Amino acid sequence: MTPDRDAQAAPRRLRSVVRAMIWATVPVLLLVQLLASAGVEATSFWSQIRQLDARIARTAESRAELIAEPLWKMRYDQVTGVLNEIMHDETIAAAAVYDDTGAAIARVVARPSDQVAEISRPIRYSNGNIAVQAGRIAIAYSYAPVYADTGGRLMLLLVVGVLATLATVVALRISANIFIGKPLAAIMSAIQRSKQDGRAYPAEISSPNEFGQLAQAFNAMQHTTSGALDRLGHMASHDPLTGLPNRRSLSERLVTLSGDAGSPDSLIAFCFIDLDDFKGINDTFGHDAGDRFLVHISERLREAVEPQDWVARLGGDEFVVIRPEVSNAAAAQAFARELLDAISEPIRLHDKQVAPRASIGLAVRRAGDPELSHLPALADIALYHAKSKAPGTVAVLDEALQRDYRRRRDLELAIPAGFAEGQFEVWYQGQIDLESQGVVGLEALIRWRHPEHGVIGPGEFLPLVERSGNNARLTRYVLTDACRALQHLAAAGRPDIRIAINLPPSELADHSLAAELRATCARFDVAASSLELEITEGSLINNIASASETLQRLRRLGATIALDDFGTGYSSLAHLRRFPLDRVKIDKAFISEIPDSAEDKAIVGVIASLAGTLGLTLVAEGIERAEQAAAMREMGVTLGQGYLYHRPQPLRDVLQWLEGQAVPESRVVAESPSIAPEFAA
Amino acid sequence: MTIFLRIWLAAGMACAVLAPPGHIVAADAKALNIVFVSPGKTGEVYWDMVAQTMQAAGRKLDAHVEVLTSERNYRIMQELGYGVVARADKPDFLILSNEESAAVPILEAAEAAGVKTLLLSNTLIGEDAKRLGPPRAKLATWLGDITTDLQTAGARMANALIATARAEKWQSPDGKIHILGIGGDEITPASIARNAGLKLAVDAAPDVVVDRMLYANWTQSEAEQVTANYLSWAARKEIRPAGVWAGNDPMALGALRAITAAGLVPGRNIEVVGLNWSEDALREIKAGRLLLSDGGHFLLGGWSIVLLRDYADGCDFADASPRVEARTSAITRDNLASVGDLIKTRRFDRIDFTRFRAKAGRCGRYDFSLDALISSLARADGAGE
Repeated sequence: MTPDRDAQAAPRRLRSVVRAMIWATVPVLLLVQLLASAGVEATSFWSQIRQLDARIARTAESRAELIAEPLWKMRYDQVTGVLNEIMHDETIAAAAVYDDTGAAIARVVARPSDQVAEISRPIRYSNGNIAVQAGRIAIAYSYAPVYADTGGRLMLLLVVGVLATLATVVALRISANIFIGKPLAAIMSAIQRSKQDGRAYPAEISSPNEFGQLAQAFNAMQHTTSGALDRLGHMASHDPLTGLPNRRSLSERLVTLSGDAGSPDSLIAFCFIDLDDFKGINDTFGHDAGDRFLVHISERLREAVEPQDWVARLGGDEFVVIRPEVSNAAAAQAFARELLDAISEPIRLHDKQVAPRASIGLAVRRAGDPELSHLPALADIALYHAKSKAPGTVAVLDEALQRDYRRRRDLELAIPAGFAEGQFEVWYQGQIDLESQGVVGLEALIRWRHPEHGVIGPGEFLPLVERSGNNARLTRYVLTDACRALQHLAAAGRPDIRIAINLPPSELADHSLAAELRATCARFDVAASSLELEITEGSLINNIASASETLQRLRRLGATIALDDFGTGYSSLAHLRRFPLDRVKIDKAFISEIPDSAEDKAIVGVIASLAGTLGLTLVAEGIERAEQAAAMREMGVTLGQGYLYHRPQPLRDVLQWLEGQAVPESRVVAESPSIAPEFAA
Repeated sequence: MTIFLRIWLAAGMACAVLAPPGHIVAADAKALNIVFVSPGKTGEVYWDMVAQTMQAAGRKLDAHVEVLTSERNYRIMQELGYGVVARADKPDFLILSNEESAAVPILEAAEAAGVKTLLLSNTLIGEDAKRLGPPRAKLATWLGDITTDLQTAGARMANALIATARAEKWQSPDGKIHILGIGGDEITPASIARNAGLKLAVDAAPDVVVDRMLYANWTQSEAEQVTANYLSWAARKEIRPAGVWAGNDPMALGALRAITAAGLVPGRNIEVVGLNWSEDALREIKAGRLLLSDGGHFLLGGWSIVLLRDYADGCDFADASPRVEARTSAITRDNLASVGDLIKTRRFDRIDFTRFRAKAGRCGRYDFSLDALISSLARADGAGE
């Protein structure tokens, strides 16, 4: 929106060069004209003033000549007559003749005037015998006519100047429009058209002047630009490695998809393909080989599809195949499976056979579906399901998947609110000394009391918490709650009960965990030795050095370290030896079939004997029946946990439950090997 | 008419009875037919008087004088002149006055027609004089001219003024006697001559200054105006005006009026002189306001008839000179009584023109002085009245 507005605002701010020229020229033109006129007029004015002075002087002199005789001969009536004659001159305001005694002989006042100059000339009389000054003539005259004349001409010059300027403006405008405006408009229009559809339009100017040259240069540039644009366009919409259309093309493709389909009811199959463990191939064979691998895959996909199908690489190991018309959902699934088969053909990389494996999320929609643009997201939901539940298969998007997806989305979005509103609750499940049947510990288990979805188990929301980067926060939440619970337990007279906390893998890499744990314990005045930290084998493997260091620190504080879910993952015996562990919790998968499954009994037996050798305390999880408990006891498992004894409960309920339990003998605590003297400090 | 006839008869009888034996009026001499084309207007004093003296002389000297008046229109004057020249019955003499040089074409026409001409008062001047030369040279029929010596008249007037001022000690603070001159115009010979007379007299008197020579077109009103202007100017210049010299009587009278208006008393602290012997001037002389009036040149009319009578009778005035100059004379309070009445009444028949004819053997020598006139009147007075 903003760039659009800018693009529209720009032409509005634009001031045409023609107008700018006129604005730049006209004031100067007008000023020069006016100044020149004023200058000329001023010169003319002074010249007129001088001429008037001269004329009046001449008049005075000529009148003096005419008057000399009648004045000398005392024909004063004639003097007055001569004087009166000059009054026809409208510049003359008054005139007077004085005789040789200075007496005014004749005086004529024609018109009163303000701007009056006066000139006086002697009147000399001479005849054959004498030459005398008979008197003098004085003439007062006005500059008013000159002023009026000059004013009038100035006004005229002003009008003429303005008219001339106007004419110049018009001429300038017309010629500038023809010689500048039109060529510019032609080039501008070519640019606009080129902008609209991306093709290079030439500006049609044939004049031989600078604009003609400009247009030629512009057209040449358009030509080169169009080639570059084509290449850019292809690059922008295609993956350079495989030559397949890219994610951007997918967006465009989605827009035109419904139009390409035959009818609104025809079905579109959208396959979202993700290679499984492509990272492993990259790590194993190097990135060049990885790239070759991707090219192979893309070629296979190309070969596997029909001409009407469309294949794109979205980036990394993600591909999309769209079949614009399938008969039904089954056909779409068959098509997807064909694709999987094509991918799965072994490939030789560095003389080694590699069997590619991929998961496909399939979404099928009607061409008339208004949410066609959501197809990638929908297929991605299915793909997520496939990858998490059954990698290397095709998952078809159905209602359930969508529901799951929406629930996940909801929960993920609700995590911050969950923290803020205290929706996360810590429940506790008791750990029982299988020998004494006394409660020796509690495992802190997180629950989410969601306002809409009710109480949610950690299996569902922990991955979401981890994905949203809230692991540390949740861990500290649990830690704090556990410390508070220890306080309550101590208050209830059961300071002997320990509380176990699950540490997610990311926490093991956090060096500040140990310090925080100590601070929290100090805050609640509980001993760190009352805390047990449960970790999984997976979290150890990912970061062996860091995890080992963190564990050492925690153990030095006095906390007990337990390896959770042992037996399901690597079950590495080396791990048991290398890491500072106190306890091993046998996964409930091995317990559930006991005592019926001889195999499970054998495995548990081996683990138990191994733990015994390594000095590790064993905990059996998921004990639901008494005979399971008995079997465990027989095999040397010390502690048990499960519904047989206690279901997880909020602390309040746990405290009540504990009241009904017998206090175990202190022996159990004393026997705990976790409190090794060398680590207690 | 009866009065006129009676006078005419009385004069005729007087002439017949009293004609001295020395005077030749040949009984057989034929009557002359003379035409005078006057440049003046009917009622114009000078030219009227010229014509009247002409006619009075004609009656005395057996000449019929026909007077044609051109009413101050020189075209009319010329047409009248041409008409006279073209007549079948041509006159014996044609008298013209070359005012504004308008008479020259008539002179030439008369030459062509063989009519004898005499110029009166104004003769040829300037180019015309050069071109046509003296009388009886190129124009054989142009017998000559009779004029007055107006320059002497002007000088005489000025001298009278100066003498009075000196006697009365009318000097200005600068020790000089200041005089105003009023001329008729600056171009007619009659005016120029008078003005020259003034200048002549003043030049000879180092204690006299003519402050201004003003021109008043011969008229009283303009003279009054310029005199008034002069007096006020003189007052501003702290000049004591001693006298006004006027080129003719009307201008002198105008000056008198201005002087009176300025609070001065003419005849007591300022003097005015004029020229023309006009009735009004004589009245002012009698009243003591005007010092004198020079003149008498209207008598040229009579004198011209005398000349032509003598010429016709064989006593050619050109024997002395074809150019006859008659002197003017001043009328003052002293001689006013003798001629005042003549002028007032214009009874020119009282003048015995026969007495002025040239004596035999002295052709061209005439005494046209005031004394001669007075003496010619004295008897006539006694006889006539």
